[in-house]
Amino acid sequence: MAAMEIHFTLNGQPVTVQAEPDEMLLEVLRRELGLRSVRETCGLGICGACTALLNGQPISTCILLAPLAEGCEITTVEGLGGRHPVQRAFEEVQAFQCGYCTPGMILTIKALLEEQPEPDEETIRRALGGNLCRCGCYLKIIQAAQRAAALLAEERQRQPQPGPASIS
Amino acid sequence: MARPIPAWLAPTSLEEALELRARYGEEAIVVAGGTFVGILINQGLLQPAALLALRRVRELAYLRVEDANAAGRPLLRIGAMTTHRALERSPLVQRGWPVLASTFALVASPRVRNQATVGGVLADADYASDPPALLHALGASVVARSPQGQRLIPVEELIVGHYETSLRPDELLTEIQVPGGLEGAVYRKFRSRSSEDRPCVAVAAVRREGRLRIAVGAVAERPQYFPEICALAAGQPTIEPELAREIGERYAAAIDPLSDARGSAHYRRRVIAVEVRRALEDLNRIIAARGGSQSHA
Repeated sequence: MAAMEIHFTLNGQPVTVQAEPDEMLLEVLRRELGLRSVRETCGLGICGACTALLNGQPISTCILLAPLAEGCEITTVEGLGGRHPVQRAFEEVQAFQCGYCTPGMILTIKALLEEQPEPDEETIRRALGGNLCRCGCYLKIIQAAQRAAALLAEERQRQPQPGPASIS
Repeated sequence: MARPIPAWLAPTSLEEALELRARYGEEAIVVAGGTFVGILINQGLLQPAALLALRRVRELAYLRVEDANAAGRPLLRIGAMTTHRALERSPLVQRGWPVLASTFALVASPRVRNQATVGGVLADADYASDPPALLHALGASVVARSPQGQRLIPVEELIVGHYETSLRPDELLTEIQVPGGLEGAVYRKFRSRSSEDRPCVAVAAVRREGRLRIAVGAVAERPQYFPEICALAAGQPTIEPELAREIGERYAAAIDPLSDARGSAHYRRRVIAVEVRRALEDLNRIIAARGGSQSHA
């Protein structure tokens, strides 16, 4: 068997990539699409450095066989544009030191806030339980999540919402 | 050296999936959520000739409740490709089987739960996973299908050893059935390291129609259940503290625990006695508060 073609939507754009059936999405995103925000660390789905959103939900790309992404919507932090409220909150609070885990943290918080716009601290801690930060910036990261929730609430107030936040 | 590249089999119907499973047998590794397969491939422990992915078999992702049968119990039917997240967030499950919803919410991280499936975790038969002990205690069964037909396998007969099940190479696990009629159910997950870790000792205790059923997980190659010890509590609406302690100690004596990074055999034996007793105390409280159920982190 040769490599296969896989089609999915990456950050809103349809893409077609070549991959072998037993390759993980992480390798394909980095090699074929040049994305550097998804990072391999543990290779076990534990650390969260390789987080992407699949149809709006966080997953570990290091243990997602690439062909399973066929037909899905994949979002990486590159797709957030740099001024997304969660990104602005991380800047304001300075919720990082080295920044290695930051993309995974941001995507996880984005997905959480779409489901629960006003999470309490316990909920934030649980949602981030599978994202490790070896600089130990956890307190700042939780503050950033709270700040992001406030920024998103301000945005909703400015523009009357078109309906419930969409999941995808 | 050229690496052998596996075939990717992606059926879109159950019929096609069963046909491929029968044709490839053990040559093809079945991929449900793929988290466990992904880890094994990353670690170089698995070089399959073919991967049989069930993701596009849409008819295998569902949650349904069947009304009370002749025995007066409703039945929850879970399609094998239902993710952990879908189960934990289902109002149907939260209402009728809250212990299932809260226990699946304790597995790994939200990322893994978005990928991992209920059929997958049972077919993997990993001793350190949370769901097997609970499903065992709940008296759950699985449907195994092949082109020849189907059979119902109780979870306690499905998991036969480390990563070993009684599924035949031509069978696919297609559904999990969980009977209702619970008076109370509890799952205690004792972790010795971090909160996202797998359990060091897991205790599931269920009471249904006056009968107690305790399954202890993560301590041996398969969930541990001792009907003769559970029978000590038969017909007792409340388990007295003395008896709860005795059952805990008897379970600890009956189990031959394994040692791993989460705890030595000696340590696990001590923890089993305590956690079984605590599970029974929890169960008393739950039943007194009118048959709810809960999981303890």
